[in-house]
Amino acid sequence: MSRTALISVQSEPMSKERVQSNDGGEASPKSGKGTLPLEDVGKLVQLLAESGVGEIRVKQGELEITVKARTEAPIHVRPPEAAYDARVTPGSEAAAAVPEVDPLSERNGSSHITRSPMVGTFYRAPTPGEEPYVEIGDRVGKGQTLCIVEAMKLMNEIPADESGEVVEILVENADGVEYDQPLFRIRPEV
Amino acid sequence: MINKVLVANRGEVALRVIRACRELGVRSVAVYSTGDADSLHRLLADEAICIGPPEARSSYLNIPAIISAAELTGADAIHPGYGFLAENARFAEICEACNIKFLGPSSRVIARMGDKAAARQVASTAGVPITPGSDGPCWSAAEVKRVGAEIGYPLVIKASAGGGGKGMRVIQAEDEVESAFKSASREAGAAFGDGAVYAERYMQELRHVEVQVLADGRGGTAIFPERDCSIQRRYQKLVEESPAPNLPEPAREGMKAASRALVDSLGYESAGTVEFICAGEEFYFIEMNTRLQVEHPVTEMVTGVDLVAEQLRIASGEGLSVSVDVALRGHAMEFRINAEDPRRNFLPQTGLVEFYNPPGGPGVRVDSHLYAGFKVAPYYDSLLAKLIVHAEGKDARDAALRRGARALDEFAVAGLETTLPLHLAILEDEEFRRGGVSTSFLAERELKSDGRGLLRLVPANRTPSPT
Repeated sequence: MSRTALISVQSEPMSKERVQSNDGGEASPKSGKGTLPLEDVGKLVQLLAESGVGEIRVKQGELEITVKARTEAPIHVRPPEAAYDARVTPGSEAAAAVPEVDPLSERNGSSHITRSPMVGTFYRAPTPGEEPYVEIGDRVGKGQTLCIVEAMKLMNEIPADESGEVVEILVENADGVEYDQPLFRIRPEV
Repeated sequence: MINKVLVANRGEVALRVIRACRELGVRSVAVYSTGDADSLHRLLADEAICIGPPEARSSYLNIPAIISAAELTGADAIHPGYGFLAENARFAEICEACNIKFLGPSSRVIARMGDKAAARQVASTAGVPITPGSDGPCWSAAEVKRVGAEIGYPLVIKASAGGGGKGMRVIQAEDEVESAFKSASREAGAAFGDGAVYAERYMQELRHVEVQVLADGRGGTAIFPERDCSIQRRYQKLVEESPAPNLPEPAREGMKAASRALVDSLGYESAGTVEFICAGEEFYFIEMNTRLQVEHPVTEMVTGVDLVAEQLRIASGEGLSVSVDVALRGHAMEFRINAEDPRRNFLPQTGLVEFYNPPGGPGVRVDSHLYAGFKVAPYYDSLLAKLIVHAEGKDARDAALRRGARALDEFAVAGLETTLPLHLAILEDEEFRRGGVSTSFLAERELKSDGRGLLRLVPANRTPSPT
C-alpha cells in the first residue's frame, strides 16, 4: 500500500500548565526547544505506516509533532466547468473578464497583484485625453493612484497597495472589470 | 422582447431564471460573489460577473455593483429572484432611473405593499377582508389598548416594515400591552430601521393559504389555483401544496376574488402572491409579496404555466399568454430540502456535498443548484433543493403523497444533513395525509428517531423516550 505521510511540526508558546504536566520525561521542554528531533519523526512515520492508523500526535513541552497518513485520492470533485466551457458563447467581454491569474506568477514573490475592489469601468487617466496615472516601468508608492474604476457615474481612484515598479497593466483602458479582477502587476521594492 | 436579463440572485432561483431565459432565447447574465465562483448559475449563464466578496451586504445586496454589472454587460432587464433585493423599493426605483427594466411591479407598488400597516389599509379599501385590528400603525401602548377594548384579546402586535416573526408579540390580556408594545417596537426598529407596529386579532388554528397572481399592468390579470403553505417551522414554510386540501369552496372563491380586486386596485404588473390566513370559511388578508416566490413551481406544476417566462413576456409588453382564471390540473406538492439537521434542532449545515442524486421519473421536478463537489458555504440561506411532485386523475392528492414519498426516498445527499428525513416523517403523519392541517402542525409535534435511521412525528407534550 503506497501512502505518503504529511508531517507538521508546531512550536507552541510555552504555557505553565504544559511545563508542569511534563513530569520529567526523557526530553525536557528545554532540550526540545528549537531542535527538530528528526530521528523521532522517522520513528513515528514508521509506526504510522505499520499500524495503519490515520494520525499520530506527540506533544512534549512546547513541541508538538503530528504525523498524518494521506490516502491516495482524497474526495475532491471539481465542478463540471470544462463540460460547460465549450458551450459558453465567446465574444462577450464580460465572460472573458473572469479573474484569472497564473497562480505561480502571483506567488513567486517577485511581483504583487493589485486587484479591483469593485465592478466598474477601468480608466487609466483622470479624464480622456490626459496622461495615464501610471505607465509600465514607473515606480509607485503605496497609496498612489493607479487608475480609476467608474461605477454608477462615480469615479473611484484606486490606490497602489504596494510600493514598487509597475511591470504589467492587465486591463485595457475603458474595459469593464469585475470585483477582485487583477489590474496591475507590481514588483515590490527590495 | 427583452434582449438580456441580469439575474440579481444566486442558488436555485438564479438557475430558475436562467433556464427561462434560455428557453425564450433571451441572453442571461449571472452575478456572483467570490464565495460562489464554483456555482452553477455562474457557469450556466451566458455571461458572468463577479460583484463582490461572499458577504451578501457587499455582493448580492450591493446595488451599485449590480447596476454597474448591468451597464457593463448591456443588460436591459434585471430579475431579482426572491430574497435579497426582490422587495427593495429603492432598488426597483434605481433600476427605473437607469432605464433597466425591473422584472416585478413598480417601485411605488413595492413600497405600498412593503409597509404592512399601509398594505392592510389598501386591501381593506379594495374590499379585501382584513383581520380586525388597528387602522394603520399604533404609535402608543394606549392605542393598542383601544384596539383591544374594541375587538378583544388575544391580540398580536406586528412590525409594519416586517416579516419573519421579528417585532411580533402575542398579547393575552390588557396588562401585557405596555411591555409587549415597547419590546415589539424596539425589536422592529432594530431589525428593519422602522419601529412602527400595528395590532390585530390573534387567531389560532389557522391555515396559511395564498393566491398566485400574474398581471400585465394593462388590465389583464390572471388568478391561479390557491396554494396551502401551512407546514411551517418558525414562520418558515417547509411544504407547500396546490390546491389546498379540504378547503370550503366559498373560502376558495372568496380568496381568489379578493386577490383579483386587490391586484386590480394596485395597477399591478408581473407576478405576485396575496397571502391569507383562513379558518373554515373565514379568511383574512395578511400581506402581499410583490415578487416570485420560492414555492411558485407548485403552481407551475398544476397549471402548466411558466411563471418566469410570463414575467419576461409581460416586461416585454407582450401581455399575458394565460387565461384570466387559470385551470387546475391535478395536485402538486413541494418539499424544501434545507441544509439543516432535523435531529439536532435544525442546526445549519455547511460543507462538501460528497454525493448527490436527485430523484427522477414521472411527475417529479427538482430545482436545485447542487452537484457532487459543491461546497455549502455559511454565507447564504440554507435552501439546497426543492422537490416538487405532481399527479393527476382521481385521488390526485393521494397519488401525489405516494409520489412524494417515493421521490424523497430516492433523493440522496451525502456530506451534510438535510431536511429530507423530516419530509418523510410529515408524509407519514395521519393528520397531514387527511389534509388541511393548521400552521401549528409542526409546533404541536416533535421528531423521534425510530431506531432505524428514520424519523417520526409524535405529539409534542408526550414525555420523549430516551433514544
